Amino acid sequence: MAGNSATASVKANARSTNGRQALFWKRFKKQKLLHLFVGLGIVFLLIFSYSPMFGILMAFKDYSISSGIKGIFTSEWVGLAHFEEFVNDYQFGTIVRNTLVLSLLKVLFTFPAPILLAILLNEAKNLRFKRFVQTVSYLPHFISWVVVVGISFSFFSADIGVVNKALMGLGVIDKPLAILTNPNYFWGLSVGSAVWKEMGWWTIIFLAAIAGINPSLYEAAQMDGAGRLARIRHITFPGMKGTIVVVLILTVGSILGGGLVGSNFEQAFLFGNSINNPTSEIVQTYAFKVGLKDGRFSYAASIDLIQSVISVILIFSSNAIAKRTSGSSLF
Amino acid sequence: MPFSQRQKDRFMDAAVHLVLFVIMLSMLYPFYYVLILSLNKGTDSLLGGIYLWPRQITFENYAQFLNDPHWYQAFLVTVLRTVSGTVLGVLLTCLVAYGLSHRELLLRRLYFTIIIFAMYFSGGLIPYYVVLRSIGLLNTFGVYIIPSMLSTFFLLIALSFFREIPVELKESAHIDGANELVIFYRIILPVSMPLIATMALFMGVGQWNSWLDSAYFVQSDGLRTLAFRMMEVINKSNMPMDAIAVANSASAGVTSYSLQVAAMVISIAPIVCVYPFLQKYFIQGIMLGSVKG
Repeated sequence: MAGNSATASVKANARSTNGRQALFWKRFKKQKLLHLFVGLGIVFLLIFSYSPMFGILMAFKDYSISSGIKGIFTSEWVGLAHFEEFVNDYQFGTIVRNTLVLSLLKVLFTFPAPILLAILLNEAKNLRFKRFVQTVSYLPHFISWVVVVGISFSFFSADIGVVNKALMGLGVIDKPLAILTNPNYFWGLSVGSAVWKEMGWWTIIFLAAIAGINPSLYEAAQMDGAGRLARIRHITFPGMKGTIVVVLILTVGSILGGGLVGSNFEQAFLFGNSINNPTSEIVQTYAFKVGLKDGRFSYAASIDLIQSVISVILIFSSNAIAKRTSGSSLF
Repeated sequence: MPFSQRQKDRFMDAAVHLVLFVIMLSMLYPFYYVLILSLNKGTDSLLGGIYLWPRQITFENYAQFLNDPHWYQAFLVTVLRTVSGTVLGVLLTCLVAYGLSHRELLLRRLYFTIIIFAMYFSGGLIPYYVVLRSIGLLNTFGVYIIPSMLSTFFLLIALSFFREIPVELKESAHIDGANELVIFYRIILPVSMPLIATMALFMGVGQWNSWLDSAYFVQSDGLRTLAFRMMEVINKSNMPMDAIAVANSASAGVTSYSLQVAAMVISIAPIVCVYPFLQKYFIQGIMLGSVKG
């Protein structure tokens, strides 16, 4: 009896799995065009996002580009040899220091700048003026770093830069400042141009946060005799707090690339030259040079990998910290 | 007492507007400066002293730009990649998002996992290079367009946009016997113009400004982009030895520097003309993106 009912239920199960499968295929066939659309995207990601992930293997191997994609799997394992070589490189200390200092400085200045600008814009009474300033402030975001560096060149070059010419003309300096080449200026130049380029853009998010604040709060505060600064401190700023936390998490997670404004690589590559190299060489430019220029693919991939692993750790830990301390988080 | 409060407020107002004015000026003047520089005779610009308007007005820099095969070719390549890259990118990204926007789609979970994972992790530049090389995209025009056709960021934005479209719109078409491709093309795309405008702006600007892919993946001289050419000049002239831009032979006071400045203006101009009109859309777009994380 017991055996009979068991076989019966197994049969019923099999029938229902069969039935479920048949139903699945029937529904799938009906949706086949939709699956074709999505499938295009999936194939795309498999080729351009997922297949490079296997390439990370080459960081632990002796890969040569002539062996093609197969070589990633067939080439010889060397363990951590490439990582050791990088750590023992005479430039290692300088490169790591430059990467960290540039990233930290950029976050330190590019993160608060849009918050301040958003507060200022919110305080502006003349709405047409406010809107115009806002529109203008987005413009640099859409311009390529190449052009921004080109513009910096026409302003700061020692020979033809308008700033040097003006300062010389006014008698403030008697020798042009080598802003573009002197290693001491590189960090300031990068941070300044990053603030200039992206400040207006990130203001959008903070202004939207301010727009979500209940206007009656301001009215009530005014009745209570709160001055302008008090209103900013006790209403505007707390109203932006959630947004500030989210943006801060994103910023910390991407800090090695230069925070939300990114562009560490572009700046180091474009502003960098052989004279300011002691401060401008960062991990990414170094990996680019040894990888694509010198053709040492395995070595460059291992340097890249160190940076990506640190970035992923940063994203998840900053998210966890934010979750614990303020309740806002991304995932 | 209330009087002094009002005075304080007035002072604050003036200060706020003044600071904003200075910020605005610091963002506008650099663009204005390269514009007047591009309209000034190149050899004369080297003397300095140009602040507010050109001293010796000339269009020679722009004429030279069009005559120089290097610059002109780069300009054409850039226009071509911007147009084709934007059209194809918007189409593929919207098509995939449209498929995913159907809640009853089977395997939706799996598709999503694949997409989200790809957003957070990547193999890095070197393995990417190896893949492009092995599928034969290196040193082709296609490398500018094909790998960037699908944007996972805009995929998510498009997805939440498509979900807001009323189902009735699609259902009536279904009854008329139209298949999904026809619905996508005839109904979804036309009602999604704000989305498409935003995507086209960002993809277009990305394509127009791009130089890294030209530096990484291309060697052929004829495939260089405008931004890449400007990068080349910057890389050369950052060095003090070359910094005094040498006058191009056989041209009316045009220097390699003034030619570069004209190229910069040509690169900036289309962006200045387009983005203010799309402001409303991209502000919505970035907000949607930030809410979705």
